[in-house]
Amino acid sequence: MALIEVRNLVKHFPVRGGVLNRVVGKVHAVNGVSFDVQRGETVGIVGESGCGKSTLGKTIIRLIDPTEGSIKYDDKEITTLGHGGMMRIRRKMQIIFQDPYSSLNPRMTVRGLLREAIKFHDVVPANQVDDYITELIRTVGMRPDAADKFPHEFSGGQRQRLGIARALSVKPEFIVADEPVSALDVSIQAQVLNLMMDLKEKLGLTLVFISHDLKVVEHFCDRVLVMYLGHIVEELPTRDLHLRAKHPYTRALLGANPIDDPDDRRPLTVLQGDVPSPFSPPPGCPFQTRCPRVHDRCRVEMPPLVTREAGVNGEAETERVACWAVEVDEQEKLSAGAGAR
Amino acid sequence: MASNLFQSRSWGKFTRNRFAVVSLGVILAYLLVAVASFVGVITLEDTQVRVLPDRTRGFLESSDLDKRSRDAQWFVERTSLRVQRAELAPESYERLMSELALRERRVADVPLERMAELIERAESQLDDLYDALDDRDEVLDEILFIDLELRRLGDSAEDAALASEMRSEREALLARVSDVDAAAETRIAAVEATILEIHPYPGGLGGLWYGVRTFLGSDAQGRSISMKAFYSIRIAFQVGLVVAVVCVIIGTVLGAAAGFFGGWVDYFVMYLVSVLSSIPTLVLLGVLVYMFFGHPLFDNPAERPGLALVPVYCAMCLTFWVSTCRVIRGEVMKIKNLEYVQAATSIGFGRVYILFKHVIPNTAHLMFINLSLLFIGAIKSEVILSFLGLGVKGQPSWGVMISQAKDDISVMFFWEVVTASVLMFGLVLAFNILSDALQDAFDPKHVS
Repeated sequence: MALIEVRNLVKHFPVRGGVLNRVVGKVHAVNGVSFDVQRGETVGIVGESGCGKSTLGKTIIRLIDPTEGSIKYDDKEITTLGHGGMMRIRRKMQIIFQDPYSSLNPRMTVRGLLREAIKFHDVVPANQVDDYITELIRTVGMRPDAADKFPHEFSGGQRQRLGIARALSVKPEFIVADEPVSALDVSIQAQVLNLMMDLKEKLGLTLVFISHDLKVVEHFCDRVLVMYLGHIVEELPTRDLHLRAKHPYTRALLGANPIDDPDDRRPLTVLQGDVPSPFSPPPGCPFQTRCPRVHDRCRVEMPPLVTREAGVNGEAETERVACWAVEVDEQEKLSAGAGAR
Repeated sequence: MASNLFQSRSWGKFTRNRFAVVSLGVILAYLLVAVASFVGVITLEDTQVRVLPDRTRGFLESSDLDKRSRDAQWFVERTSLRVQRAELAPESYERLMSELALRERRVADVPLERMAELIERAESQLDDLYDALDDRDEVLDEILFIDLELRRLGDSAEDAALASEMRSEREALLARVSDVDAAAETRIAAVEATILEIHPYPGGLGGLWYGVRTFLGSDAQGRSISMKAFYSIRIAFQVGLVVAVVCVIIGTVLGAAAGFFGGWVDYFVMYLVSVLSSIPTLVLLGVLVYMFFGHPLFDNPAERPGLALVPVYCAMCLTFWVSTCRVIRGEVMKIKNLEYVQAATSIGFGRVYILFKHVIPNTAHLMFINLSLLFIGAIKSEVILSFLGLGVKGQPSWGVMISQAKDDISVMFFWEVVTASVLMFGLVLAFNILSDALQDAFDPKHVS
């Protein structure tokens, strides 16, 4: 059974305007998203800026209340929980933020902010709190004397480690990492990613890893959700990603990654234009305005997210794609297969 | 706790700022005086009792002959009046003489006969002085007359002859001026010596204290300017601290709640702010003063001078918090979207806890600035209001002093106005410098 089950999740932000400050429209940040996260799994969410991936991440742990849809954590519906019920669940799910400079309260020492969380949830008995804090700080690879310093005394990478320490302090099962390394230097990125990988192994965490870097996700995650304009357009295992990817958008993202082989000169597929405004998304497929394989059907009808077997080399894995062109390809492949037989 | 402060990085940063240390010293001196009047070293009575003749100049400026002779006359007259009464009823002599005391400066402890002798001598010396002054006035009048005549004379030969005659006469008169001045000077010195015999300066500690009372001179009723000014420091601190603390607390809590919760809380607070900021403070204060008019508790400066300040507190506290509220609201709206607030939410803390633990502490720098701005602002407003007669009643205050002394300016007596203004200026300036320095020193992100 899945640890997290998200069904038809919708988040619309109202836009107010005019003299009377009335709702004149809404931003479609997340548009009917469904997916599962298995226990112990690492799921990546990729997409370009503004596609709703951070909103999705924050909605899963209810930092943002969803407009519609259901989120089940450990088979328990959490969208309808009140403050008290949510408080008990919150201990199990934590978040690591993107910007290490605004994610730590500048007026609290490291010890203060860790102790606050630990005491609130009674994670360890009161007389062991200080030992536990020292242990936590060691766990994220820092010296114990960091405990009595203020956040401004640390570098970005160190702050991100402290952010991880805070998330771990309540012994969660599930962590949403919202672009945890995108604000860091490349060398520091690797350190923090390795730390997260080690911790995930050691503590048996379940992770949702949000990123705009497909390369990092490929390296770090078991499965990836590709988002475009509030929709999941493709979901697939990360192993042999470039062989499996079918959706034109995923292919374009893969094409945008630098290739570490100077002799490999594939033609670049560069996407033209911008993402349509989430304030007024186009009817039909959200990707139609930039898709190299767009045809008439895409402009009127939203392609469904179709689940298929995706076993490369005969493995039993599934993937989901929402694209009419891929649909046509698959039909042809099927009929070709049938014809050959 | 205290040793922690003195070893901290902030303290080191603060002490490296020389202006800040000086201003801290100045403020501590003010505070010392304020405490002195709180514990009763300087009392309200000290500011209300005569210590000198009217409008005596302070230690830097010596009075002219006319003023000195008027003062001498004042001393002699008030003593001789009581000596005459004592001669009719000798048993009341001591009581009458004790009435003459100017705080520590008491009348000489001599028998009635001796006192009568001294008074008689002083009066005759005073008569001599008047003669000398009359001579002096005559000479000065003649010079003035010649000057006027000279201006009237024309260019004719006759007039020219007259003019040269008058000029030589004027020369002679001018030579006499120094003589008559010297004569008047010796005679006034004689009177003053006798007055000192009647009314000697006190010695020892009392003399020192009398020196403190008189070194800035006296106002139009002979009251000590220095005591009034010192007592005003207490009033200023009282008004400044009460208003600043109350306004910062109200402004921070309402502003933070408005910014953090938004919705109807925000509408309500901002409505309040808009309404209050559209009422002029002076008008509101006028209304409050008249509301409390004749109230046995709040308008009874003779018996309850402390409570007479309540209308002033009310008016300032009602209106001054709006500026703090606006600033804090804006900052909180910024802070509430920061990730550490979301992190606290994800830990599971309640909204009110997050507001007080994570949001409001991060507005501390603004609270600090507003505290010092409001402290200074309240002091300045108190001075203005008291000047207008709406503020402090029955107690001295810099505003009351300036308003009482505004007539003295026409007779070139600046001591009271200048004293009150300089003390206010010093406090406000020192506080401004100190608050700047403290803000720099205690901002954890500011590195110097």
